[in-house]
Amino acid sequence: MTAARDWRGLLFALPFLALYALILIFPLMRGVWLSLNQVDLFGDGHFVGFGNYARLLHDPVFGTSLVNTFEVTLMIVPPLTVIALFLALALNRAGKGAAIIRGIFFSSAVLSVTIVTLIWRFILAPDAGLLGEAWKTFGWQPLPFLSDEHLVLPALALTTIWWSLGFPMLLFLAGLQQIPEDMYEAAALDHSSRWTTFWRITLPSLRRTLVLVVMLQTAAQLQLFGQSQLLTAGGPSGASRTAVLFLFEAAFGRWELGYASAAAEILFLIILAVTITQYWATGRATGADGGR
Amino acid sequence: MPTVAANIRRGRLTPLGWGGLIFGALIMVAPLLWTLLLSLKNNSELVGHSGAALHGPYTFENYVAIFGNSLTTRWLLNSAIVALGQTAGVLILASLAGYAFARLEFPFRRTLFVIVLLGLAVPSQAVILPQHELFAWLHLHNSYPGLILPGLVAPFGVFFMTTYMRGIPRELDEAAMLDGASRWTIFWKVIVPLTIPAQSTLAVFTFLGAWNDYWWPLISATRSDMYTLTVGLAAAQMNYAQTSGLGYLMAQAVFASIPIFIVYIVFQKQIVRAMAGAALQ
Amino acid sequence: MNRIAAALLLILALASCAQRDNKTHLYLQRFFGECGAEYGGNIDVAHAQGECGIITTLVNRFNAQNPDIHIDVNVVAWPGYPQLTAQMAARDPPDLVTMHEGVISDYALKGLLEPVDSYLAKAGISPNDFTDASRLGVTIGAHEYGLPWDTHGGLFHVNTALFAKAGLMRDGKPVFPNSAAELMAQAHQFEQRTGKPYLIQSLVGDPAGAARNLYTYMMAQGAVLFPDPHHIKLNTPKGVEVATFFRDINVQHLGTRNMDTPAAIAAFINGEGGIYPTGTWMIGSFEQEAETPGRPLYKSYAVFPYPRLWGKRVEYVSGHSWVVPMRKRTPKQREAIARFFKFMAAHNYDWARTGHIPAFKSVLADPRFMALPHRSDIAPLAAMGRQLPPYVQRQSAIEGLVGEEAAAAFTGQKSVPQALADAERRVDELLGHLD
Repeated sequence: MTAARDWRGLLFALPFLALYALILIFPLMRGVWLSLNQVDLFGDGHFVGFGNYARLLHDPVFGTSLVNTFEVTLMIVPPLTVIALFLALALNRAGKGAAIIRGIFFSSAVLSVTIVTLIWRFILAPDAGLLGEAWKTFGWQPLPFLSDEHLVLPALALTTIWWSLGFPMLLFLAGLQQIPEDMYEAAALDHSSRWTTFWRITLPSLRRTLVLVVMLQTAAQLQLFGQSQLLTAGGPSGASRTAVLFLFEAAFGRWELGYASAAAEILFLIILAVTITQYWATGRATGADGGR
Repeated sequence: MPTVAANIRRGRLTPLGWGGLIFGALIMVAPLLWTLLLSLKNNSELVGHSGAALHGPYTFENYVAIFGNSLTTRWLLNSAIVALGQTAGVLILASLAGYAFARLEFPFRRTLFVIVLLGLAVPSQAVILPQHELFAWLHLHNSYPGLILPGLVAPFGVFFMTTYMRGIPRELDEAAMLDGASRWTIFWKVIVPLTIPAQSTLAVFTFLGAWNDYWWPLISATRSDMYTLTVGLAAAQMNYAQTSGLGYLMAQAVFASIPIFIVYIVFQKQIVRAMAGAALQ
Repeated sequence: MNRIAAALLLILALASCAQRDNKTHLYLQRFFGECGAEYGGNIDVAHAQGECGIITTLVNRFNAQNPDIHIDVNVVAWPGYPQLTAQMAARDPPDLVTMHEGVISDYALKGLLEPVDSYLAKAGISPNDFTDASRLGVTIGAHEYGLPWDTHGGLFHVNTALFAKAGLMRDGKPVFPNSAAELMAQAHQFEQRTGKPYLIQSLVGDPAGAARNLYTYMMAQGAVLFPDPHHIKLNTPKGVEVATFFRDINVQHLGTRNMDTPAAIAAFINGEGGIYPTGTWMIGSFEQEAETPGRPLYKSYAVFPYPRLWGKRVEYVSGHSWVVPMRKRTPKQREAIARFFKFMAAHNYDWARTGHIPAFKSVLADPRFMALPHRSDIAPLAAMGRQLPPYVQRQSAIEGLVGEEAAAAFTGQKSVPQALADAERRVDELLGHLD
């Protein structure tokens, strides 16, 4: 292939790349620059080097928000993945019944975060919520999900899992449909049990889907924001403040543009590191049986 | 003789299994039914008594109120334009770029692909202010391009189309190339038709995201005739909406979700088929 | 495909067509919701109900009475500051905006708001006409930065049936404490006789409420909350005393603990506690309950400003005002703004029907106002009301920080000195980084 031809390939990617550079990379770079300045929304600001970053390191509120973000991600991603996989296995069949139930499990995904949190407030609020009422019928004291610092993150996780099930479930369903029938036939000849078939055939075949789901969900949940802002405003006492809520408050509430940008860059680097680590780890663990 | 595979794929689920699934589905659907019931109640009846939703009288007054607002149809139209525009844009850009990354050789291909993937890690809240500044310079606020453009740079579409296209056997386009077809012809005549399922999946998720987006339209569309439905409905609420206009709020939720739900039902089959391609390559 | 594209282009073309007429256009941006369905072209202000209904009919009426002016209304989601800030950053702000008085300093000190002295003068309004609370709310230095429109703040909403059961009614009025110790004693008495909590509190997701309690009773003791523009003083003996008091209420189970605002409202409406301290804006809803036979609050509702527990009888309040963002305007537009101010000032009574306290002394003295339910009881708020000093910027963000820490202190999540010290540190850090 000639060099000229090489460059022509770029033409196909160019429309996207040009917009990408203008609307995402440029603002990202501008964010990096802002993070090195002390600047508010309207001021000219002045250069402070890594001052904002140093300040962040000593800001316990930011530290707590990072810890909260990790905790809530850990509470969401594993159960979400397992439940979605289980649902896909159970619902991977023809028939009206399965189709309807698939639809139901996907239905929550069409709601916007505003609506999701509004609905879940009614479920979680201890004095008026559905869960509280259910608890009371068993004669138990309703749990203060939104006001207890140890329960609030699980409550956010529960809400998020309910909301986000649809997408991973669809990914797994799709993955299941790609497994060649003859692999199962071979297993049948060996008189393998369902469990053996699952561990030997289904799960290995779903490996890439699994990696994809975990990576996408991890990256998404590390950016969790709306649920925390709308359901608890980050409370009680900051126990449900996530990193994105922190930077949102800094930017829109306190107009601390430089400080918020620095927090954003740190979060960006963390998500990047986590994603790359996951990719690398899963790539090594499963590298033996190839794939591209 | 039914094979095990057939058993797993189409076979019977034990009654216990069905019971569990239906129980789970009930848990999923209960909050939605609750929303629907609340939306059918008079607002003042609900103040302090949300349990009143469990019994009649029911009324459509909240839905009437939504349509009574002269701007609602306008917001619906804006949302449709923005969501469709973003969907069309993402499909075009992501398919072109996906084709380039999956099939073509050009300088810095790998580097550029990695740079695109890095975008997955950028929290949108981190760039929203510089983006706002940029769009102010370009005089694009309160315009359809201003509402549509930021959604076009989502890296997921490119990632998704690239992996899907990598799964298409190379023999197909190599055969076309031997026939003397240009890159463009191969892309348009061979690759694109094969990616229709992936296009529908990406379409549904882009549409969904665009339809439910809140923060960008909130700060970019500041004139009420340019609001999208999410922003317009939020603005229509009183300040302490959660306490006074619960039924109205829930009616809005139902109303705003209907179009996406229709989209999902229409495309359900394609979505699942398409995911297959992307997920397994 | 082409047809769709053509249709889209047509829509775009239609959308970009602005109306052209000979009127002077003012662009007004407000919250309070959208109720065009009910009040579309209605100019019958006297029969409009609620914030949204009243403001909508007022603007309609102004347009009808001023054929040479047209006010284009833009309704934003409450509180509307992210949008306003975005508009200012894009150099395209509206002409008239609803703004909480505590937020004015943020914009005014950045030169983003016009002083409105000249508009007031042209409209024949003197700042002396404003109530004390309102005047303090819009004045920075020698200038007024907005037309005050109401004062709103915390009130003790009372269930008088439960108060009677608790033996806390005298001459048809609830007995209020005059000191912290008295409140505790009455709360215990209430609890013993009714079996219900004395206070209904929304301590979840409501930092403004917690901040209001702390500010109010520290101010009552004469505490200087902001000795200078860059520091807050909360971790003082006075602050500790107030926070400990609210914490004791929880420790002794005299108030509800796990409620957010909607839950607390529901609890009060359902007669599950004696007092719900919340804002003026709830009067309408509660009064409606009080007039509906069969409801727990039927004929059992009264409302008063916060009682004196320490020192002076003052209360931390806020208010709505109309401000004019800085931008180029024609003389005709300036004239129109002055006429709008005059009109709104003349109709301040109508707005007071929402439950908010009027911004003008004349309305406070108006028999029509005093004849509205409960208004004579809550009118003192106009004189008691105190705002934070105007040199304090980011008041709403500070309220969020202080409220979060105060709530942690009240509920026992942190020790009182720890919470107050944390609040001081966070606020000082914010203020210290302002230019």
